[in-house]
Amino acid sequence: MKRKDDHNFSRTTRKVSVFVLLPILLLFISNSVYSQERTITGVVMDASNNEPMLGVNVLLKGSSRGVSTDINGSYSINIESPSDVLQFSFMGYEPQEIVVGNQDQINVDLVPSADELEELVIVGYGVQKKRNLTGSVVSVGSEEIEQTNLQDPISIMQGRAPGVQVTSNSGAPGGGMSIRVRGASSLNAGNSPLYVIDGVPIESNSLSSLNGTENFGLNPLADINPRDIESIEVLKDAASTAIYGSRAANGVVMITTKRGSEGKAEISLEVSAGVSEITRKLSVLNASQYREVIIDSYQNMDNPVEPTTAVLDSLNPKNNGDVDWQEEVLRVAPQYKVDLAVRGGSEKVKYSWASSFLDQDGIILNSNFRRVTSRLNVDFEVSDRIRVGQSISYSNSHNNRINAAGRGNLSVVRELLIRPPSYSMYLPDGSLNGYQWGKRNPVGLAELATHTNKSNRIIGNEYVEIDIIEGLTFRSNLNLDLVTMKEDEFMPSSLDYRPGYNSGAVRAIHNLTWGTENYFSFQRQFGNDHNLGAVAGISYQDWIYERTGLDGMFFPSDDIRTLNAAGTISNQEVNIAGEHSMLSYFGRVSYDYMGKYLAEVNVRADGSSRFGKDQRFGYFPSASVGWRFSEEAFLSEFRGLSDGKLRFSAGQTGNEAIGNYTSQGEFAVGTNYLDYSGAAPTVMPNSGLTWETTTQYNAGMDLSFFNNRILFTADAYLKRTEDLLYNVPIPRTTGFGYITQNIGTIENKGVEFLLSTRNLTGDFKWSTDFNISSNRNVVKSLPEELLTNGYIQNGRYHILKEGLPIGTFYGWKFEGVYASDEDNVNGITNGALGKEFKGGDPIWDDLNGDNIIDEDDRQIIGDAQPDFFGGIANNFSYKNFSLNVFFQFSYGNDIYSEINHQRNSVVRYNNLSTNALDRWREQGDITDFPKPVRDDPMQSDSRIQSRWVEDGSYLKLKNVNLRYSVPRTVIEKIGMNSLDAYLTASNLITWTKYTGFDPDVNSYSGLRAGIDEGSYPQSRTIILGLKFGF
Amino acid sequence: MKTIYKLFALFFLIGSTSCSEDVLEKDPISSFPAQGFYKTASDAQAGVYGIYDAMQSTFSRNFAFWGEGRADAVQTNHSGEPLLLKQNNLNPTLNSASWNSLYQTISRANYAIKYIPDVFEGESELGTQLVGQARALRALSYFYAVRIWGDVPLITEPYESINQEIFIGRTDQELVLDQIEADLLFASQNCREQFGGERDRLLITKGGADAMLTHFYMWKKEYSKAIESAQRVMDNGMYSLVNISDWSKIFTTGFSNESIFEIGFNETQTNMMRVLYALGSDSDYFPSEKFRNSFEEGDLRQELIYDVTQEEPTKVWKFFGEGFNDESPDPSANNIVLFRLADIILLKAEAHNQLGEVEEALDLLNKIRVRAGLSELDQAEASALYGDVQSAILQERLIELSFEGHRWFDLVRTGKAIEVMNPINGLSAEGNLVWPIHENAINRNPNLQQNSFYD
Repeated sequence: MKRKDDHNFSRTTRKVSVFVLLPILLLFISNSVYSQERTITGVVMDASNNEPMLGVNVLLKGSSRGVSTDINGSYSINIESPSDVLQFSFMGYEPQEIVVGNQDQINVDLVPSADELEELVIVGYGVQKKRNLTGSVVSVGSEEIEQTNLQDPISIMQGRAPGVQVTSNSGAPGGGMSIRVRGASSLNAGNSPLYVIDGVPIESNSLSSLNGTENFGLNPLADINPRDIESIEVLKDAASTAIYGSRAANGVVMITTKRGSEGKAEISLEVSAGVSEITRKLSVLNASQYREVIIDSYQNMDNPVEPTTAVLDSLNPKNNGDVDWQEEVLRVAPQYKVDLAVRGGSEKVKYSWASSFLDQDGIILNSNFRRVTSRLNVDFEVSDRIRVGQSISYSNSHNNRINAAGRGNLSVVRELLIRPPSYSMYLPDGSLNGYQWGKRNPVGLAELATHTNKSNRIIGNEYVEIDIIEGLTFRSNLNLDLVTMKEDEFMPSSLDYRPGYNSGAVRAIHNLTWGTENYFSFQRQFGNDHNLGAVAGISYQDWIYERTGLDGMFFPSDDIRTLNAAGTISNQEVNIAGEHSMLSYFGRVSYDYMGKYLAEVNVRADGSSRFGKDQRFGYFPSASVGWRFSEEAFLSEFRGLSDGKLRFSAGQTGNEAIGNYTSQGEFAVGTNYLDYSGAAPTVMPNSGLTWETTTQYNAGMDLSFFNNRILFTADAYLKRTEDLLYNVPIPRTTGFGYITQNIGTIENKGVEFLLSTRNLTGDFKWSTDFNISSNRNVVKSLPEELLTNGYIQNGRYHILKEGLPIGTFYGWKFEGVYASDEDNVNGITNGALGKEFKGGDPIWDDLNGDNIIDEDDRQIIGDAQPDFFGGIANNFSYKNFSLNVFFQFSYGNDIYSEINHQRNSVVRYNNLSTNALDRWREQGDITDFPKPVRDDPMQSDSRIQSRWVEDGSYLKLKNVNLRYSVPRTVIEKIGMNSLDAYLTASNLITWTKYTGFDPDVNSYSGLRAGIDEGSYPQSRTIILGLKFGF
Repeated sequence: MKTIYKLFALFFLIGSTSCSEDVLEKDPISSFPAQGFYKTASDAQAGVYGIYDAMQSTFSRNFAFWGEGRADAVQTNHSGEPLLLKQNNLNPTLNSASWNSLYQTISRANYAIKYIPDVFEGESELGTQLVGQARALRALSYFYAVRIWGDVPLITEPYESINQEIFIGRTDQELVLDQIEADLLFASQNCREQFGGERDRLLITKGGADAMLTHFYMWKKEYSKAIESAQRVMDNGMYSLVNISDWSKIFTTGFSNESIFEIGFNETQTNMMRVLYALGSDSDYFPSEKFRNSFEEGDLRQELIYDVTQEEPTKVWKFFGEGFNDESPDPSANNIVLFRLADIILLKAEAHNQLGEVEEALDLLNKIRVRAGLSELDQAEASALYGDVQSAILQERLIELSFEGHRWFDLVRTGKAIEVMNPINGLSAEGNLVWPIHENAINRNPNLQQNSFYD
C-alpha cells in the first residue's frame, strides 16, 4: 500500500473529535442554569370503564419531560410554573391538555377516541404530529409488529405500508428482501431505501452479499429484533426525505426502538416456539418416466441414434435409484425465540433494556439461523436543560446458509428439482453419491458443504440535547455502525468430479460507518396563531470497509476446512479496502397558522467523495403546504367530518450509490497470469460524474369521519429521476466495457390509498386496515447511442426501452406446439438458413411475418411490475380474545420462471416436471409441451421465451394471530401484570396461478426483477407463544 | 449564557471551515486511480502480466472455435456454436464473432507500451524487453483479429479519458499488418532469449516472437522472410523435437522442449479444453470421419490422438492422454500450446517449397514424418500420395498439429478453404472466409460496417 497512508484518516478523526468534545464542554457550562420546581401527582382513569390506566403518557408541554402512569393509573411529574400545561395521551384515546394553575393533584378521565391523528410520527431530525404532516409518511406501529412472528423489520412492511413494495429474494432464515419505495428510480445506482435506526443512518448495501456463489444476498436488517421496535416510518415524498438529500431518492425507512418511561420497572418475557414447512412441493418425474423422456430425446434427433448415454444405464449402481429429492432435502423445521425486556425509569433516568435469542431452522436440511440481540436505550436528565442518552445495540448471528440458491449445480434448490431421480443417493460402498455427470447431490450440498455466515454488529448512538432558550434546542449525535462478518465456505471432494479436489473460501468484512450530526431545533408559538419551527445542522459521515479473504484448494482432508490446510491458495484478490465520506448541511423551516395552514421548507447540501471534484456538492430542496380544511368555518356544519387535510409537496433528492472510486477510474491488481501478479486498467475514469436527481411531486389528502372511526388517506405522486448513473456500454475496442455516465430519465407515478375503519366498537370490536398502491414505472429517455434496435439488453431476460417499465421481459413468444409436420404451412424456418419447424417443435410467433424465426421476432413477453399491490388486516377482539387476520396481495406482475425452464431442460439431462408426461410423442399429438430433443437443434430450450413467463399475481393469507390475554384479576394474584398466550401462523394459504414454489420471489435484488431462478422456498410457519408481564 | 452563544458561534465556524471539502478526498486504497499506475519496475512487470491475463481468457475456448471450428478435422453433434461453425452458418451472435477479449489484451498492452518507457530512466534492458512482450502480445491479438475479421479498428493508444474518440471505424488490414510486423520485429530484437524454467515457454521470448513472425510472413506470403525467422527458431538452442514416446506430453504436461509458446492455465485459471474435446459422450468436437481416414498406415500418432478402437470416437485424446475418459462438463487446467517447433519446421518446409526449394522442403517434412513412424517421401512419392509437395506438407500439418487451432488458417492462407470445405458445408464465397463482426460491437459503434457477406 505504498500510496496510501493514514494521514487522511487521522486528519478527519481530529476534526471529529471537535464535534464530540464541544457538546461535552457545553454540558459543563450550562449545568448552572436553574429554575423553580414543584411536583404534581394524580390518577388517570379510563372514562369508558372507570378503570385505572397503565402507561398513559404525561408530558410537560413544550419540553421533552414526560412520565407515564403506573399500574394504578398514578403519575407524578415536576413542573416549573403555574402556566405549565400537562398533556395526557394514550393510543386510542382523546388526549387532554390541562393548565396546572395552583393544583397539586390533577386527576384525569381519558375518553377513547381512537384519534390516530394525535400520534407522533418520526420524521428526519424530529417528530411531528400526524395531524400536521404535510409530507407523505406511512407508519407501522409496535402493535402491528407484535402480531407477527417475522424476524426482521423489512418483511414487516410487506403489505402493510402503501407505496412500499417488498419481495423476497430468499425464504431462508435471515435471507434477503427487495424493497422499493414508490418504484425503482435508478438503473444501477441502487434502489434500496436509506435505513435510519434511532437517528443513525446505517450501512446496508455492502452487507447484501459477500461472495459469488450465493447471489441472493442477506437481509441487511437481519440483526434487528422486531420486538425492540416502537415504530417504523417510511418517508416517501420529497418533502419528508429531502432532509436526507443524496441518499433519499429511494425513500427513507426510519426505525425507532422502544425507550423507557418513568415508573416502576416493567419486565416482559416472551417465549415462543413453532415449526415451518414448505408451502408446496413441485411434481417431478420418477426414474422410469425420466428414462423414457431421455430415450425420446434421442429418437427425436434429426438423425436418431440409439441412446447410449450412461444416464440410461440402470444396471450401473450409481444410476439405479428412484429418489424423490424434495422428500430427502425438505423438512419440518422447528424454531424458538425468547425475548426479555425491562423498561422503566425515574424522573431523571429512563431505561429500556431488551435481549432476545432466536434459533430458527430452515426447511432445507441443515439450514439454521441463530441470533442473539441485546439493546440498551438510556436517557438521563442531567439538568433541567440538558439531556444525554444513548441507544446501543449488539447482535451476534450465526447463519448456516447452505448453498440454497444460485446458478449451476451448486444450488441445493436447483438440484433437488433437477437431479435425476435415477441417480442414486449412495454408492455400493455406502458412501454418498455426491457428484454424478454434472449434478451434485442436494443432500450432500446441504449436509457436507459448508456455508456459514457469522456476524457481529454494534449500532450505537450517543446524544446530548441542550435547551438553550425557550423553544431552541441543540442536539449533537455521535453514531456508529460497526459490522464484522465472516463467511466460510467449503466444497468437499465428495461433491466434486475430480478425485481429491476440494475447495474452500473465507471472507471477512469489517465495515465501520460512523458519523456525527449536530443541529439546532426551534419550535415556538407566536401569539395564539403562529407556530414556527426550524432545524439547522451539519453532519459528517464516513464509511470504511475492509474485506479480507482467501480461496484455497487441495485440502489434504475434507475434515480440516480452515484455509491453513489448503494446498494451494488460489485467490487473494478479495483483500481490499475502501473509503467514502460525506459532509452535509441541512435545514428546515415549518410554519402553521392556527394549525390550519401548514407550510414547510427543507434543504440539504451533500458533498460526497465519490464524485468528481467539479461535481462534488449537490443541493436538495423541498417545499410542502397543507390545508386543514376541516377547521374552516364553512365546514363546521358538516359533523361527520372530524378532520380533513390537503397536502402538496415538491422537492428533489439524490442517489450517490455508485462505486467509491468510479469517477477516478481504477487500475486493479489481481489480474494475474498464473502465479505472476498482474495489474490492469478496469474502470475508465469520468471526472464529470454526479448524482442522480429525483424530482418528486406529491398530492395527498387525509380525511377522518365520525370521530375518527373512518380514516382515509390518499396520495398521488410523480417521481422523475434524471441524470441516471448508468454503466454506458462503449465499444470494446477501447478495452473497457462501459463508462459510468449520467444519462437518461425514469419516471414513477402512482397512487396509494389507506383506509382504516373501526367497524364495531363495544364489547366485540372489529377494525379493518386496508391499503392498496399502484405504481407505473416508465423509462422516459435513454441516450440514442446506447440503444441497439431501440433498446438496451439488461441481463439475460430484460430490456430497457423508452416507454416501457424496468422489468420488461424480452424474448420469443411461444404459441404452442406443431401437432404435425404439415401444420407448419408456411414452412417457417429456424433462422434464414436453418431447418423448417416440424411436428413437436414449438410454434414461435413470426412477428415480422418473414417465415423465418430469428432475432427480429423477439418481442415483449412480460412485465415484472405489478398493477397494484397491498394488504388488508382485520382485527377482532372480544373480551380477552383478539384475532388478527392479514392478507397481502400483488396483482398483474409476471414471473420469468427460470427454474421451470431448468425443470424442463432435457438438453442438460435435468429431471423434468410432470408436465413432460403430456409431451408431444408422435405426429398429430395436440399438446403444449414440445418434443424433447437431445441436442436442441431448433433452440427450443435455449431461447428466452414466453413459455416460462407466468402470471405472478397472488393473494396470500400472510398472517393470522390469535391472542388470549388472561384477565388481570386472575394474574394479579400470582404477581404478574399481564399474561398473553398467542398462536401465530404465517403464509397459511396462497392463491396463485404461479407453478413454482411461491410467487413472492425475486432472485435478483437489483434491476432484474421478477426472475425465479430457484430461490430458497418460502415456508408456512405456525408459532405458539406466551408473553408474561411483571 | 453569553459563553454558550460564543461557543455555538465557534462551533459553526469550525464546522463550516475546517470540515471543508478536503475530508471528501478519498483515494483508492486497494487499487490505483486509472492514471498514474506505472511508477516502478514492479508496476511495469505487473502491467505486462496483466496483458497475459487477458490473453489467457481470449484463447481458453476460442483457439478451437477460430482455428478448428470451420475446418475439416473436427465433427460435432453439438447444436449451438460448434454446429453453426461446422455448417458454415455463421451469424453475428456467435461467441467467436466477438473480439472483446482480443481488444482487452490490446488495451492493456497499449497502456504498458505507453507508460513502461517512462518508468525506466534511460536505456534499460528490463524495460525494453517488457515493452517487447507487450508489443508481441498486441501483435498476436491483431494477427488473430485480421485473420478472423479482415479490416479491424487499429488502436495503439490507451483510453484514459472520456474525451478521446471512442467510436473507431475499421482500418485497412494492410495497415494493421504493418503494425503487427513492426511490433513483432521489435519483439524479436528486444525480447529475452530465455527467462529460465517454465517462464521460457509461458512468456514471450525471442523464439516466441520469431515463431509469430514466421506465421505472419507465411500469411503475407513473404516466404524468404518466413524462412529467415523460422531458421532463427530452429537455430535457437531452447527448442528440439521430442521423441514420439513423449509426444503426448507436449500437451498433457506441457513445458516440453518442443514448445515455443504455450498459454498457461491452472486449477483456477482454467480453459474449456475438456468441454471442447474430451467430455466423454458429449464433447463439442470429435475427429471427423475424413480426418480419421486420412492417416497413413503405421502413423504412431493416430492412437495418441483418439480412441481408434471406437467405431465412432466421441472425443479427442490428444490433450488429455491415451485412455482419457471423463463425463464432467467442467473446465480444465492444461496449457494450450500455441506455437511449437514442429509447426515452425513445417511452415519452413512450405516456404521452401513455395520458392521452389523442394529438397529443403522435403528434408524438413521428413523430419516430422520419420518421428511419427512414417517413411521418408521424395517428390514423386509426395506427388503420388497427395498430388504435390505443398499438399503433402499441408496433410502433415493436418495430422501433426491436429486440433491445435491451425487448420482453418492453413486452409485460408493456402487458398484451399473453399476447395476443402465446399463438399462438407457448401462454403463457396471468398467473402465468407472472414467471420461476421459481433452484433454487440456493431451496435455499440455507429462507425463499424459489418463484413459485406454478412450484411
